[in-house]
Amino acid sequence: MSLEPVRDDTLDADGNVDPQAILDLLGDRVLDIEEHMNADIAVVVRPDTVEETLLALRDEAGFDHCSLVTAQEYEDRYESIYHLKQYDDPTNEVSVVVPATKDDPVSQSGNAAYRTCDWHEREAYDLVGIEYENHPDMRRILMPETWQGHPLSMDYDQDRPQVVTLGQHDNPLKDDIRDEENDTMFINIGPHHPATHGVLHVKTVLDGETVANVESDIGYLHRCEEQVCQNGTYRHQIMPYPDRWDYVSAGLLNEWAYARAAEDLADIEVPEYAQVIRTMGAELCRVAAHMLALGTFALDVYGDFTAIFQYAFRDREVVQNILEELTGQRMMFNYFRLGGVAWDLPEPREDFFELTRDFLDGLPGKLEEYHDLITSNEIFQLRCVDTGILEPEVAKSYGATGPVARASGVDYDLRRDDPYGYYDELDWDVVTEDGKDNYARVLTRMQEVEESAKIIKQCVDLLEEWPEEERTIQSNVPRTLKPENDTETYRAVEAAKGELGIYMRADGTDKPARFKIRSPCFSNLQTLPEMAQGEYIPDLIASLGSLDIVLGEVDR
Amino acid sequence: MATQTLPEFISEITGLGSFGVAGEFVAAIVGAGIIGTIMLTYTGIAGPWAKRKITAAFTDRYAANRMGPFGLLTIPADALRLLSKELIIPERVDRPAFDLAPLVVAGSALFAFAVIPMGSLFGINMQIADPEAGLAYAFAVASIATLGLTMAGYASANKFSFMGSLRAIAQNIAYEIPLVLTGASVVIFAGSLQMSEIVAAQTISGGAEPLFSIAGLGIPPWFAFVNPFAFVLFTIANIAEVGRNPFDIPEAPTEIVAGYQTEYSSVYFVLIYLGEFLHIFLGGAIAATLFLGGPAGPVLPGFVWFTIKIWGFFLLTQWARSAVPRVRIDQLIEIGWKGMLVLSFANLLLTAVIVGVIA
Repeated sequence: MSLEPVRDDTLDADGNVDPQAILDLLGDRVLDIEEHMNADIAVVVRPDTVEETLLALRDEAGFDHCSLVTAQEYEDRYESIYHLKQYDDPTNEVSVVVPATKDDPVSQSGNAAYRTCDWHEREAYDLVGIEYENHPDMRRILMPETWQGHPLSMDYDQDRPQVVTLGQHDNPLKDDIRDEENDTMFINIGPHHPATHGVLHVKTVLDGETVANVESDIGYLHRCEEQVCQNGTYRHQIMPYPDRWDYVSAGLLNEWAYARAAEDLADIEVPEYAQVIRTMGAELCRVAAHMLALGTFALDVYGDFTAIFQYAFRDREVVQNILEELTGQRMMFNYFRLGGVAWDLPEPREDFFELTRDFLDGLPGKLEEYHDLITSNEIFQLRCVDTGILEPEVAKSYGATGPVARASGVDYDLRRDDPYGYYDELDWDVVTEDGKDNYARVLTRMQEVEESAKIIKQCVDLLEEWPEEERTIQSNVPRTLKPENDTETYRAVEAAKGELGIYMRADGTDKPARFKIRSPCFSNLQTLPEMAQGEYIPDLIASLGSLDIVLGEVDR
Repeated sequence: MATQTLPEFISEITGLGSFGVAGEFVAAIVGAGIIGTIMLTYTGIAGPWAKRKITAAFTDRYAANRMGPFGLLTIPADALRLLSKELIIPERVDRPAFDLAPLVVAGSALFAFAVIPMGSLFGINMQIADPEAGLAYAFAVASIATLGLTMAGYASANKFSFMGSLRAIAQNIAYEIPLVLTGASVVIFAGSLQMSEIVAAQTISGGAEPLFSIAGLGIPPWFAFVNPFAFVLFTIANIAEVGRNPFDIPEAPTEIVAGYQTEYSSVYFVLIYLGEFLHIFLGGAIAATLFLGGPAGPVLPGFVWFTIKIWGFFLLTQWARSAVPRVRIDQLIEIGWKGMLVLSFANLLLTAVIVGVIA
């Protein structure tokens, strides 16, 4: 569902990107063309023409979604890549590659075109060391302000001590935040606060009970996940880590993001049978993740460990049991393998199907109970309807995806729009709501649980009837994977929170040269100020809850 | 109907009465000690044990079940644990106010129990005093708690505490007026502020006419039956007054951490918590006295009925805590000033007119 007509003169008759038209559009701004496996075309532009290039692509070619900004350092240059997509058709992809010189790594900011560049470029500056001109707020984002050097740059000395004392660390109460003239109050919500769902620090300026300004301070849970993956081999050593990004039961969805990117990079086929198992497992994870989102959101609005929180956890427990049967683990599944899954369904298969079917049969009744208890509660509606409004245009500019975007009427779901797994063979719908508020986000998640249940049911039916001799769980994958030198790809899947993508560049070895995670929570969290400013503190808390962030995924 | 109060009974059986004023004073202290102990025992049961068990029942869990039968030994274990915790007093707190606040919060509720008629147990009337302005005294003393919350929030030198105390003030002002006005409508019915008179006006044995009879059993004219509208209003205002869900704005755990009690630890924390639970029981006690015939009830002794009624109110607050979302501060104030206040004035006016016409 398009909210503004997309200019289609850069698309061919089938709706695909016409690379020549893009080149014509950008004219002599294009220095060179690169090959990216995912993108229709990857153009290299000068660092001082980034803004106009991005604006041209956004306004005249309809690339309204900046998925990710990847920064990396080569022997001879720095490079930023803007991975652009279209919300209407995410298979239309263009990469804008911006090289910067080694001794003066400065590049123009893409903020004027996409607001989401704000945080992505800050991260690039923080970890790699590229500076972005005209950036509104060029500060570190994951590392402490006092950190020395850029951890992912080539000359970074890991042995150098980085002890930061409390006094040296950025003190939120330092004088410049105290405003004698104004009668506002600065308050730190977090990093230890009952409502931040992890270690998030929200610097809040209050005018009475009204939120005047919000700024999220992240990085408390940064565990160098990207670098850890760069030090692991493609075949086996990376797969355990995705479980730890979004660790609240969305493990298989994360694993799929890596599997999809790596399978694309190394050109690995996945047997259909394994795809069905993957689809079923991923949807079970989505159900579990949405139940947790619902429970914790209720916690934020209700205020205590209330009935609905416990009910959601009780029902999520059933899903966890099914996943444990399937994968042998409750949270850190490590079940996917490149080219398939680790093992077949547990024997006896009938018991597993029965367990799953029992859950699916009970689900509608439970959802009805939830609706009775929360969505139809008048006080709940009073609290959630028309609070935390996120306009669709704003959501797109911030690169919001998943239920957050869909609750604002942005019809974007990679399972349908960029099909993978077994999704396009199954009968299900993408849920959108046009309420744009906290209430719509709750409704979206609850309906998505229903849709996931539909998918799981079809998968179970398929698996039950699958002929025994055709149950191939893994394709033949070499023991050591060495994708060709200089192949690059960005591949995303629809995780519980939105578009979870992986950018990987191979350098001919068995480990990725650059591994970048596009976390949906990272982009979604950026929208918080838009939703919370001018509202009351309780609405700020509710909006934060409705974003359903997991700090493990935001900070990586 | 003049009944013997608890101190009078004590001075009579111990002979303290023969020592004049000093003897009466000692008897009063002993009486107050008994009532205080009973109420603190209820609170001790409610806080570490009953609250957990009730919430667990609402949320499909077991809760305390490891220590003793039904986990009852959790109560002494928790008492010991809480008392042995380190008392952390932040550097910049306003000392006397910070230390006094927990006492004020807990004390104000205990003081109000002095005039509550708790019924008789083994022929002893469990009421410390029965002044003519009993109801006014109860309301007045109970609202001193707001002062305690303000002190706690302001003296803590913490922004969350401060916001919590500001919210507490706003909320208590908004809901105290409807509370007192609805209470006043009962006074018009009963024709007295004296607690024993209000109870007597609701009990058949106290001389009141039965509301109506079913199969020869007279239904007592409890004011909750006579004017259910006022009872509902009073209960809502009462829940807001004691700061329970959906009106637990001053604490609002997910918003302002723990409100005015954020900086309190150890014994101070226990005192504040005791105060909160005492206030819930006090809210229940006043509601029971005004609307549910106080300790009146068939077969069982009055004191047992009274206990059942205040625990019923406690159960109600816990039920709300499990199932009802919290309203926002501005919505709370709106409900208070635009809804409750108007309705309680209407109720008072109507009651006055009806009573005036009939009587």
